[in-house]
Amino acid sequence: MKNFFNVFKFELSNFIESKSYIISTAIITLLIVVVMFLPNFADLGLGDSSDTTSKTESGSENDVEDNNEEESGNTYIFYDKTSMFPTEEELNSQFKEADIKWKEAKSEDEVKKTVEKDEYKAGYVITSLTDYDYYVYNKPMFDSDTPIIEEIMKNIYRQNYCDNNNIDYELVQPLINIEILHNDNILGKDAAESYWYCYALVIIVFMLIILYGVLIATAVTNEKSNRSIEVLVTSTNTNSLLFGKVFAGTVASFLQIGIIMFAALGSYKINENAWGHALDMLLKIDAKVLFVFAIFGITGFIFYAFLYGAMGALVSKTEDINKSAGSLQMVIMIVYFLVLFQMSNIDGIAMKVASFLPVSSYSAMYIRVAMGEVALWEIIVSFIILVISTVLVGILGAKIYRMGTLRYGNPIKISTAIKAIRNKEHE
Amino acid sequence: MKLEVKNLHKTFSEKEVLHGISFQVESGKALGLLGRNGAGKTTTIRILMDVFHANSGEILLDGKTFNQKEHKIGYLPEERGLYPKKKVIDQMIYLALLRGVPKNTAKENSLKWLKRLEVEEYADKKLETLSKGNQQKVQLASTLVSEPDIVILDEPFSGLDPVNSQILKEIVQSLIEDDRIVIFSSHQMSYVEEFCENIAIINHGDIVLEGELSKIKQEFGHNQIVINSENMSVQQLNEYLCNNLSEEVTVTGIKKEYVIVSLKDNISKSDLLQKLIDNNINIEHFENYKPSLNDIFVAKAGDE
Repeated sequence: MKNFFNVFKFELSNFIESKSYIISTAIITLLIVVVMFLPNFADLGLGDSSDTTSKTESGSENDVEDNNEEESGNTYIFYDKTSMFPTEEELNSQFKEADIKWKEAKSEDEVKKTVEKDEYKAGYVITSLTDYDYYVYNKPMFDSDTPIIEEIMKNIYRQNYCDNNNIDYELVQPLINIEILHNDNILGKDAAESYWYCYALVIIVFMLIILYGVLIATAVTNEKSNRSIEVLVTSTNTNSLLFGKVFAGTVASFLQIGIIMFAALGSYKINENAWGHALDMLLKIDAKVLFVFAIFGITGFIFYAFLYGAMGALVSKTEDINKSAGSLQMVIMIVYFLVLFQMSNIDGIAMKVASFLPVSSYSAMYIRVAMGEVALWEIIVSFIILVISTVLVGILGAKIYRMGTLRYGNPIKISTAIKAIRNKEHE
Repeated sequence: MKLEVKNLHKTFSEKEVLHGISFQVESGKALGLLGRNGAGKTTTIRILMDVFHANSGEILLDGKTFNQKEHKIGYLPEERGLYPKKKVIDQMIYLALLRGVPKNTAKENSLKWLKRLEVEEYADKKLETLSKGNQQKVQLASTLVSEPDIVILDEPFSGLDPVNSQILKEIVQSLIEDDRIVIFSSHQMSYVEEFCENIAIINHGDIVLEGELSKIKQEFGHNQIVINSENMSVQQLNEYLCNNLSEEVTVTGIKKEYVIVSLKDNISKSDLLQKLIDNNINIEHFENYKPSLNDIFVAKAGDE
């Protein structure tokens, strides 16, 4: 036990005293703090931010130019082949409050050319009351232009239909455009509210496992490649060496992510009004979820760290680590994608099974806790399974580490390693 | 203390590489473990250090099963290695702590051994910045940092220049004088001859010679005479002895300046001397053969 702490302290200092660790932690933390304070100094277009309401009232020329530019960005050009479409003036009057402007083109070609030159946000050529051509230079992922023209065309069509059939359009209009109102009364959890921070936490723990797992494997392989392993295994037992290394990697990684998350959550808390609560979905994490994330995330990390340590012991050169850890990384990737894809089906059987398997419970369980309904016994059973599996993997990892001590040369297959352990052939 | 290795057998992938290695060494004496490359020296040492497990055989310390964890052992492996990117002093303290040295003594011991090996100026430098020879000295210092009772050195002189070899010689000598058990393997016979009272020669996984070096030399040189002549070259003398005195002697070796012969049964040194005089051999040198360790090693571990 004493030597476990000696190894732990030595390995921890190796991690946290490295320049890359200090610099990356400092830069990421600083960047996050700067970004969080940014709305106090610059308008990020956050809608109801207190700062955005305090716009300058002085009407300088620059302001006018800016406004013109903004207006042209909200101006559509259209060409009406039906002669049934409203005129430019009618449309501008109708959309005055919505800050949308219209320009009537003289030809279809004019629509195409002006949109191509980016003079208008988009262009429409109305060929009939139910048919139109849409011109846009770069179509965005979420197109908000076509619903506008379609709503206008639907109204004209309805009005036209009513006129042709002697129906009073004014009378039926409220019937056609009836708006249904509802109030949300969520008695359990709102999955939409926790979706984004769960998504972020899955990515964080995945990145930690991959990044630090490889670092732990590299630390083990380095001891083989620099031949210090023989001195170490004759100075203390291999359990102390591997456990010390893995726990040091765990503390280093969670210390780093802890500092970054503390900076992010803390500086957001200070600036949440300036942000107009725009990042609540990402950074307002429920304390219970954060706790479950911490215990499952840390234990799951240790589970994989032991496996990475064992994979490191199977090779003698750091460039061979990917060969031995390839299948392990594949498992981690599969779990990662499975959990992400199943976030929309939180109570599905796949997510339930994943929340009990030690390879996936580290992320699946806290997502279920955050977004679905989980009984306390389920959390406890899943955690016990994860802890027992981690201890067993730790013991197996230490045996593989011991077995691989003086096996230099070609990477050892995991099957060969397990066979050697079974035969107690410590070569 | 008396360390006894008894009948060690070791098999790798169904191939037996040690076929019953036995030797013993006591405190205040050094044992030279000799053998050609691949003979089994390092495997034997690794079994001693519990890096490998023997398939059979036992290791006893003062008659009891030797448990490596209960004793302070300084082990310099054949494959040298420390942390290249760590400061010399940090890794020495770390290794001292792992070997059970209290924290306050660990630094003291580290500085003491660095000073003793004349590398104390590099204490705060990263190991990779040191020359190969100095890295070797740091490795030796880290071997001795726990003030071990048993010191096992696998090829300790390799990589050291003559000046550094002299420093190490003095250290090994002082370890022996301090009543510690010292085992070391080396190909450099002169060092073994200098320190070791006992030797064990391993050849193809077998002990082919083991015991007190002085007695071995005596036995090995028994009944053998070194001869050279003023009026004959070594080659001529060899031919002459083979052709004319084959009933009295057998030529066992030809060196640059003399011939070594073994006396046949019932032939005394005086008989041989008389025969040589009778045959008009102008004798320049006639004395008992005192074999060097190198001669013994070549005779025992050379090609059959």
